[in-house]
Amino acid sequence: MFGSLDISTSALVAQRTRMNVIAANMANMNSIEDADGNYSPFRRRIAVFASGDPSRGSDWGVHVSEILLDATPFRKVREAGSPYADAGGYVEYPNIDPTMEQINALEASRAYEANITAAEATKAMIQASLRLLA
Amino acid sequence: MTDPLGLIDSTGPIRPHLPLAPSGSGGGSEISFKDVLMKNIKQVNQLQQDAQTAIEDLVSGRRDDMDAVLIAKQKADVAFQTLLQIRNKLMDAYEEVKQMRV
Amino acid sequence: MIADLLETGSIPVLERLVQFTGARHRLITNNIANLSTPYYRPQDLDPDSFQVAMGDAIAHRRRAGGGLALSDTHQLHFRSDGIDARPQSMDSNILFHDQNNRNLERIMQHLAENTLAHNAAIEFLKSEFDLLKTAIRERL
Repeated sequence: MFGSLDISTSALVAQRTRMNVIAANMANMNSIEDADGNYSPFRRRIAVFASGDPSRGSDWGVHVSEILLDATPFRKVREAGSPYADAGGYVEYPNIDPTMEQINALEASRAYEANITAAEATKAMIQASLRLLA
Repeated sequence: MTDPLGLIDSTGPIRPHLPLAPSGSGGGSEISFKDVLMKNIKQVNQLQQDAQTAIEDLVSGRRDDMDAVLIAKQKADVAFQTLLQIRNKLMDAYEEVKQMRV
Repeated sequence: MIADLLETGSIPVLERLVQFTGARHRLITNNIANLSTPYYRPQDLDPDSFQVAMGDAIAHRRRAGGGLALSDTHQLHFRSDGIDARPQSMDSNILFHDQNNRNLERIMQHLAENTLAHNAAIEFLKSEFDLLKTAIRERL
């Protein structure tokens, strides 16, 4: 029964990591320079889930197995006067669509709430079992 | 009208008229205390059996009205507790009578 | 005689139900944890086949007496003090693009039903044990 709490918590951690990735994407929607000031448009990150929880050595639960870089091409915006424009006058901007990120954020928070409900159910069952003794 | 002690018939000396043997089912208008007790024990037993059957049916899916099963279980338990109290009071009364110096 | 006290009533029946709901709860929680995992198929234990096995064992006990002996189903192996479960995928939903056929509402419904069944079984067990203790104490 206590193992079920581990499963739910692993899901809460994974969904929160995913929310952080989404928040980073939203914040960097228009970042075309990296930390050193070089021209490097921010590439969208994707959190990939996999079942199992290696940090606890368990086959149950879920974890973020890797954070991928989205390989879709950058968004091209016509800015002929920009120092970063290419031969055709286009500047590459991050491949981040705010609508997609918002929908993903909604789904992540829905999954987070579902796991909270599961954890509450586990706690209620353990407490009911304890009342057997009282 | 029953007259267990035989006091109304005053033609002879007063003699206690105790039931010597259980009257059973064909024993006329007298119902012995033992019959009443046995009947109640059977009723409590039947209620307990019914409650157990109800729980078994609920678990095996033959019925799905949990409220009725809960109520049946409560009835059975209250009946048992009542019988237990009656038995305790009988035992206490017996102890008290046993203590009486005749 | 004392073993009969605990084996012939509804206590073993309720015990098996608690074991089943406990095993199923872990699976349902894992399904909820993997709502967003690609290529994951939610797994579950079928309560109907458990109920059928339970009904057969109860009928057998009524006829032949003795303890409650459950025969294994295709998903459940009944040990003396627990249940080993072989869960199966519930593939009753469309396959989403991430190759996961979750059905969130069904999973949450199963969670609610399972939790209620577990709590009800615990309550019944509690009143069974209370009755036995009252009888043993001979005092209310």
